[in-house]
Amino acid sequence: MADLTPATSSLLTPKTRDQLGAIANIRWSIFKNSLRTMRGRMELVSWIFIAIWFAILGVGGSLSLALGTWFVISHGRTEWLAALFWPIFAYWIFFPVVAAAFTETFDSANLLRYPLRYRTFFLVNLIYGSLDVSTVVGTMWLFGALAGAAVAAPVYAPWSLLVILTFGAANLLLIRAIFAWIDRWLAQRRTREIMGILFFVTMISFQMVGPMMARFGGHRVQLPVYLTQAVTVQKFLPAGLAAEAMGRALGGEWLLAFGALLLLAAYASLFLFILNARMRAQYAGENLGEAAPREQKPAAGTVPLSGWSLPGISGPVAAMVEKETRYLLRSGQTLFTLFMPAVILVIFRVSTNPARPHGGGFGPALAFPFGVGYMLLLLSNLLYNNFANDSAGIQFYFLAPVRMQDVLLAKNIVHGGVLVLEVALIWIATRILYQPPDRALIAVTIAALLCAAPLDFSVGNILSIYSPKKHDFGKIGRQRASGTTVLVSMGVLIVIAGVVAATILLSHFLGGLWVATAMFVGLSAVSFIVYRILLGRANQFALRRREELIAEIAKAG
Amino acid sequence: MLDWQRMDTPAISTENLTRRFGDFVAVDGIDLRVTPGQFFGFLGPNGAGKSTTIKMLTGLLAPSAGRIQILGLDLDTNPIEVKRNIGVVPEGMALFGRLTGPEYLNFAGRMYGLDRDTAAKRATELLEFMQLDREPKKLITDYSHGMQKKLALAAAVIHGPKILFLDEPFEGVDAIASGTLKAMLQRMIARGATIFLTSHVLEIVERLCSHLAIIHQGKLVAQGSLEELRSGVQARAGADQAGGAKEKLALEEIFLRIVGGSRMDDQELSWLT
Repeated sequence: MADLTPATSSLLTPKTRDQLGAIANIRWSIFKNSLRTMRGRMELVSWIFIAIWFAILGVGGSLSLALGTWFVISHGRTEWLAALFWPIFAYWIFFPVVAAAFTETFDSANLLRYPLRYRTFFLVNLIYGSLDVSTVVGTMWLFGALAGAAVAAPVYAPWSLLVILTFGAANLLLIRAIFAWIDRWLAQRRTREIMGILFFVTMISFQMVGPMMARFGGHRVQLPVYLTQAVTVQKFLPAGLAAEAMGRALGGEWLLAFGALLLLAAYASLFLFILNARMRAQYAGENLGEAAPREQKPAAGTVPLSGWSLPGISGPVAAMVEKETRYLLRSGQTLFTLFMPAVILVIFRVSTNPARPHGGGFGPALAFPFGVGYMLLLLSNLLYNNFANDSAGIQFYFLAPVRMQDVLLAKNIVHGGVLVLEVALIWIATRILYQPPDRALIAVTIAALLCAAPLDFSVGNILSIYSPKKHDFGKIGRQRASGTTVLVSMGVLIVIAGVVAATILLSHFLGGLWVATAMFVGLSAVSFIVYRILLGRANQFALRRREELIAEIAKAG
Repeated sequence: MLDWQRMDTPAISTENLTRRFGDFVAVDGIDLRVTPGQFFGFLGPNGAGKSTTIKMLTGLLAPSAGRIQILGLDLDTNPIEVKRNIGVVPEGMALFGRLTGPEYLNFAGRMYGLDRDTAAKRATELLEFMQLDREPKKLITDYSHGMQKKLALAAAVIHGPKILFLDEPFEGVDAIASGTLKAMLQRMIARGATIFLTSHVLEIVERLCSHLAIIHQGKLVAQGSLEELRSGVQARAGADQAGGAKEKLALEEIFLRIVGGSRMDDQELSWLT
């Protein structure tokens, strides 16, 4: 890119200031224009609520840290400063990654067409990219700590300011570097899939924490040894170094204090270097899109491809089933979710304290129905947003000579297949991990599933049409369903759970699980009729909603 | 005998076709008539209502008022029969990014009612013709824009439609891919298909289309063969400047005169280098 601006030594030249001002202006205009739509206004209202929450968090945390720092310093317990700085660091760095939905992403790549100097480009990225809640709240907390330190030891206030500013800069540069690199990995399909799986593995690992604590909680672990090691190590990490720099200075150990500050500055420089490497690549015109690789050697000959044939199913529906299955198999994240019920059973098995084998959330006899219930809960992600992954392909359903009920029937056939596969997996897991499920329990669980599944499919089909939400593979942490879908799905699951509980309770008085099985079979006939009626009207519903459906699912970005 | 099999039945006809978005009238009561076998260009400035019209003609958008007949069949009452006879390359290309090219074409063929073997055979032929057969395992999401356009066209023609609707088919396509697309379209016209095309590239429209309609601010302002449009514009110009020499106007000039556009004169934007 041509750099038309003359180089100057000052950081903010008048031209740079003009450019930063122009960008601020355009962001303000974008915000104002977003308020023209109902959705934009609703977003503003929800952001006001969120802002109130974060303001409380910011102010509350800031006051607590001011008080904490003042107390620690004035009582000469400076070794506890690290305990105050680590939460700031953890919140600043981990919150935006985990709760990406609250983080405003700023795509500076669009600015590359303008004659921005690299320095301006970097600054724009740093300034506008940092206007997220974690940075604002983190900064408030840091200044709270500074205020506490200044009141407790006014003479050291300039030093404390220097330390706090260096610590803040390190945090800011680190989080920007993390986001820049995550964006880089999410931009391409293969790395995105790997990131997605890593994310889910992390989530599962977190789920393991509770059960593992329950299992090993009774054991005497050598905690003091680990703590001593952790305290030593943390002293060489940013939050620990900030605490050391401040604490040592207050204790008159200026050499150590300078050393700690220098090391903290070195961390900040390292993060700057990492961020800079990413920014440089972007500035040089790196394309993070799904760029087509160079053409490979011609294949030895195109293999004629014959589609699937499914007995008793029409050609278009069979083609849809094939397409849906391929989609499912190519989505690592979705596929991973499907194995979760079996994984959860493993987690519960591992968590069961050998000393108290029946002390977990459910007894071994209930492992099978528990697994099936959990599966239904997980499947609602898939069922209640049927078109989420179709993107521009959604238009095809309205262009081809097919009715929407055929499209949905095919999707439900695949969902049904997944359901059968998962039930089999759960059964195997239950047999291996717990005990072979009782026949009566298997029968009643399957009958309850036959009753619940058609109802779930029906609600899922209707919600998919009326409350669609595009699934964006490129943005982790923003795959939430629409608010309506979340509320309705919770309601449906409560109703299903209620019906199942009421039926089992009633059967208890009438003579046992086999009565409940018979009742569920009867109810499943009703449920299936409801499914057929609603499926038959799907075309009508979809045609009525086609514009909104296409607009949401086929939208770019 | 179906209506469309009679020569006097238009391939596409609309009566008072209207589409409103709130108070804004995007398409304002247009009456179109496209006869079978025509290569029909549908032109208009940005925001004139071209895409809205093509979306209504293909069933992606419901009209606010008016009637659409495709091959003599009412789109509202016979949507499935109509869709069986048309192929569409819409604005967003309607591709499923997580399928490979061969899988998508096979899928499209079967959704249009072809049996498995026919769909597979045609998919293979189309992939070869479009030169998309080199990387059969590549996902569509990894295709270049030009490859995606070619694939979208292949999917739109796999069932041998009688009418093909194309919304900006040459946008973002390089010269090589554009040549392949044009060759296929000309082959279809030679075999009696009807093509309805919107494009901003007037040179391509002029070269390919036999008949045109121009939409401006939602209203149909001209319709006919290129010669008829040229004569109409020249007749109007002749009335204004009696006795002036009759030149053969290019489509761009015809278009600008009809929609009231103007060329930049030397006084404007004088600071531009």
